Amino acid sequence: MKSRKMMLTLAAMMLASTTALAGCGGNNEGGNANAPKNETNNTGGSAAGEANAGGEDEAKLDPAKLKVYMIGGPQRDLPQVQDEMNKYLTEKINATVDITMIDWGDYSKRMQVITTSGENFDIAFTSSWAFDYLPNATRGAFMPINDLLDKYGQGIKENLDPRFLSGSQIDGKNYAVPVNKELASQWVWRFNKQYVDKYKIDVTKIRTLEDMEPYLKQIKESEPADITPLAVPKGFKPYVPFDFLLGDEFPVGINLSDKEGKYVNILESAELKSSLATIRKYYQAGYLRKDVATLDGIDNIKTGKWFADREQTQPYADLGWSRSAGYDIVSNPMQDPVIFTGSATGAMHAISANSKNPERAMMFLNLLNTDPYLRNLINYGIEGTHYKKLSDNVIEDLPAMKDGFQMPGFALGNLFLTYLHKEDPADKWDAFKKFNDSAIVAPSFGFNFNPDPVKTEVASISAIVKEFYPSIMTGSVDPDEYLPKAIEKLKAAGLDKVIAEAQKQYDAWKAANGK
Amino acid sequence: MPGILKSLLKNKAFLLMVLPGAAWFIIFAYLPMFGTIIAFKDFRIHPGGFFKSVYESDWVGFKNFEFLFSTDDAYIITRNTILYNVGLIALGLVLAVTLAVVMNELLNKRLAKMYQTAMFMPYFLSWVIISYFVFSFLNVEKGVFNQILAYFGADPVSWYNETKYWPYFLILLGLWKSAGYGSVVYLAAIAGIDKSLYEAAMIDGASKWQQIKSITLPQLKPLMIILTVLNLGGIFRSDFGLFYQVTRDSGALYPVTNVIDTFVYRGLTIMGDMGMSTAAGLYQSFVGLILVLTANWAVRKIEKDYAVF
Repeated sequence: MKSRKMMLTLAAMMLASTTALAGCGGNNEGGNANAPKNETNNTGGSAAGEANAGGEDEAKLDPAKLKVYMIGGPQRDLPQVQDEMNKYLTEKINATVDITMIDWGDYSKRMQVITTSGENFDIAFTSSWAFDYLPNATRGAFMPINDLLDKYGQGIKENLDPRFLSGSQIDGKNYAVPVNKELASQWVWRFNKQYVDKYKIDVTKIRTLEDMEPYLKQIKESEPADITPLAVPKGFKPYVPFDFLLGDEFPVGINLSDKEGKYVNILESAELKSSLATIRKYYQAGYLRKDVATLDGIDNIKTGKWFADREQTQPYADLGWSRSAGYDIVSNPMQDPVIFTGSATGAMHAISANSKNPERAMMFLNLLNTDPYLRNLINYGIEGTHYKKLSDNVIEDLPAMKDGFQMPGFALGNLFLTYLHKEDPADKWDAFKKFNDSAIVAPSFGFNFNPDPVKTEVASISAIVKEFYPSIMTGSVDPDEYLPKAIEKLKAAGLDKVIAEAQKQYDAWKAANGK
Repeated sequence: MPGILKSLLKNKAFLLMVLPGAAWFIIFAYLPMFGTIIAFKDFRIHPGGFFKSVYESDWVGFKNFEFLFSTDDAYIITRNTILYNVGLIALGLVLAVTLAVVMNELLNKRLAKMYQTAMFMPYFLSWVIISYFVFSFLNVEKGVFNQILAYFGADPVSWYNETKYWPYFLILLGLWKSAGYGSVVYLAAIAGIDKSLYEAAMIDGASKWQQIKSITLPQLKPLMIILTVLNLGGIFRSDFGLFYQVTRDSGALYPVTNVIDTFVYRGLTIMGDMGMSTAAGLYQSFVGLILVLTANWAVRKIEKDYAVF
């Protein structure tokens, strides 16, 4: 009996351990699947940057190898392009790069592990939406780069809109080099032009959620049932004019019209309340899909069975959307463009706190932001192989680009240096600059909230938000019943404490910055 | 010393067999235990590498554990986690043993093998895939269930918003996925039962049912106890995929689907705080350990021979 029992115990132990093993693999779903991939093939023009490696005497530099992590799907032809880059970089700054692409959904988690384990990499992509800049900078993953910028990054400072650098400061220090691109963010309603034409809709008149009503009604009544009038997934939120503390999935912010700068509970704002009543009405009228509260994504562009949705825009976005859809899409803004702290950190490159070659890393970043040859090489690959030049800064893709080298253009360095495609308007990058200049700057621009003192509350609130937001914000449940429920629960979880802490930090920041 | 060496040599075949498992445990279970101290620290990255980071981070006592208990949900998630696991362990045991006994009694061995394989299959499917199967049944507009309801003239049900059905769905799916796997262990144990016991019973005129009741089940009892005690250790852990993927992370269902693992996942993705995640894991392991020890102690009190250790 005894030995038999031992055997059984052993067998059971082994079983238990294999189940434990199997358990390890499963937990990595979800995450940042809705990263802004729309700019994957952005193109570009003004070739004004000077190709100067920061003024150092190259002969004196020891050879260095830079380990670089970038976001995006792994590309077949990357090694080939990387060889080409290395030839050029050896000549310029006597360095070579080793670039690893990590896919959109995995990037945050992989980088979390890489930084925590203390690996000696040099440069990594960071942003407000993937491998989040603020928490990782505060926990010490990145090196402060102000001195390096002064010494080796002059080109960056000259080329970059200064608001990028000031907006991404944490306690007066920069921890990453922002990519020069559109700075302001602006929500728009997008429309399927087919129906806009059919019903002779003047989209420029549609700004608020309420403005949509007659058109949604018309589509619902006249079109077949599989055309969704307001085709949005569970991430949808009615537009409210707030400057968010921790993104739009966290219910704290400053009303943009509030000159005092008071952080409030957004769920208690009059703006949101009236919008929620409207969206509830739309949901009940069947303008949204019945299962919207559990709909992770909705493939409008591909199916074409939609009338309107919402999206973040940038200059000439309609052209890009129409091109990738294969049919015409038009849009109209819900708001004026605004520059938030988060918009300055939409795509950046940080130098690791463990980097052995921070100087050379900065020189490389400087080149990515000033050198048109290198910038276009990493974006479009090799001339003649991946693209052919039609004129000085206009190119046409060759098949190899589509098959083996599709890099996310917005995540690679100064976007304004990149070549244009022939369909692009010639003044594309000027329009970007104008867009940035025309935007309103949010009152808290440059303020980065440090959640550490209230992290218990922030974690609990985040979990509660995920319970209520998708159903309340899409009108799937009655806001009169669920909104008070959500508010009560959030208060119990310490929402007021977070608001008070935010206010305290914000007031201190205002005083320190003389605002 | 020579004694140890001698016994090592004598048992080298067995030791070699143990080696992969032992290595796995040392690398993935014992060495990382060092990391549990992060649960009591405010983790900050230090340029000197991981160990330096751990060493240099400040002690914060039990602060990292607070968030597990800070909301009204603390009760709900603990209740859900425990009840679902108790349900799955108890029903899983009954189902696995029943299936094993039935399989064993099947005369057509070919057919038995086929059933066994068919039941084993779900175990290899990822919850993500299963969640789409389930979705094709429960989709509001085009799902199978609602089509059937519509055929009979009933109103469609918004399955992903109705909490009342989900405890059954989840238990059912959890059992469906693991029953085949669980039954294999018992099937192997049944095969190892001394045949002469059955022969003696048959000579005495025992019916099939009597044989099962008086021979098979008592013989399986030690294994049932061992597996259950070990399963109890995981009672504070739940199958993340089952509660997150299969429910399509529907907020309306949280009251019945939120368990410790999903709560931690939802709360910490925004900050990625190492200390708090480690604290949650440590808490689950600690409660598991206490439960295993208690259960084992109880078994030892009742039937000394059946205790695991």
